[in-house]
Amino acid sequence: MAVEALKLIRETEEEGRRVLEETKENAAVILKDAEQEIKGLKDKADDDEKSLAVDISDKYAKEGEEEGKAIQENARAEAEKLRAAAESNLDSAVNLVLERILGLK
Amino acid sequence: MGAVEIADRITDEVKEEKEEVLSEAREKADGMLKEAREEIELQKKHFIAAEQEKGLENKERIIRAARLKAKKLRWTAEEELIGKTLEEAVKRIQTVKSEGFKGTEYSNVLGGLIRDAVLSIIAGGGVPSSELEVVVSTEDASYVNPEMLKEISDEISDGGAKIGLSLSEERIKSVGGVTVRRKDGKIVVNNTFEQRMERFSTSLREDIVKALFKAKE
Repeated sequence: MAVEALKLIRETEEEGRRVLEETKENAAVILKDAEQEIKGLKDKADDDEKSLAVDISDKYAKEGEEEGKAIQENARAEAEKLRAAAESNLDSAVNLVLERILGLK
Repeated sequence: MGAVEIADRITDEVKEEKEEVLSEAREKADGMLKEAREEIELQKKHFIAAEQEKGLENKERIIRAARLKAKKLRWTAEEELIGKTLEEAVKRIQTVKSEGFKGTEYSNVLGGLIRDAVLSIIAGGGVPSSELEVVVSTEDASYVNPEMLKEISDEISDGGAKIGLSLSEERIKSVGGVTVRRKDGKIVVNNTFEQRMERFSTSLREDIVKALFKAKE
């Protein structure tokens, strides 16, 4: 009877050790999975950064080009206005030059 | 305590330890993930801020280049128009020769330029009496005559200086105007239109800009 009892206890202890071993392995798997997930998150973040960089760069370049285009259009219009104004004042400007070089002013 | 109770107790303890180990592992994993997510999020924020700064710099560079180009466009237009004005003025000199300018005949224009040149020579040379000669282009020679030169020298001599003025046989290549020099060649005043244009270049350009673009101001 005592032998049987000891056997039961030993077997239970054995089973307990096995279960704990298995549990430690499972715990290691949980941590390993977490590390894998973290690696996945970091890889994804790296990929996201690449496309994010392109998006941000494109956004600002587009804004700059649009603003630059507006500046250019404005400058062209201004130059045209300048030409038109100058054309109508050309005669008086020429007379002014003549006065100076002919020594009349 | 019987063997069965002992075995049950061992089983319970194992179960408890198992739960504890797994729970700790899950908690640690959750913590690692949380920390990693926070780190990634923070890194992302920094990355976005840095990229935005770079993007903004690039945007400003593009705008600066556009502004510079715009300035150049305006400057080019102004230069073209100044050039056109000067060209047109040179072209009109021919009309001035035949029709005069604002009621002044071309010969009087030349007279004025000769007078100015003589006064400059007197002022610069410090010599109270001088024999001077006037050099003009072939085309302008017909606008200068001895009477006119005498009138000028008499007028200036009235002021105290003794001046003899004559028309040189030499002819210069010029669109118009005169060169007056002392006969010894030591002092020369070039009052040709090309030279006057160059001499007054800076102030002429300022005057042209004012006259041409007065509508904008």
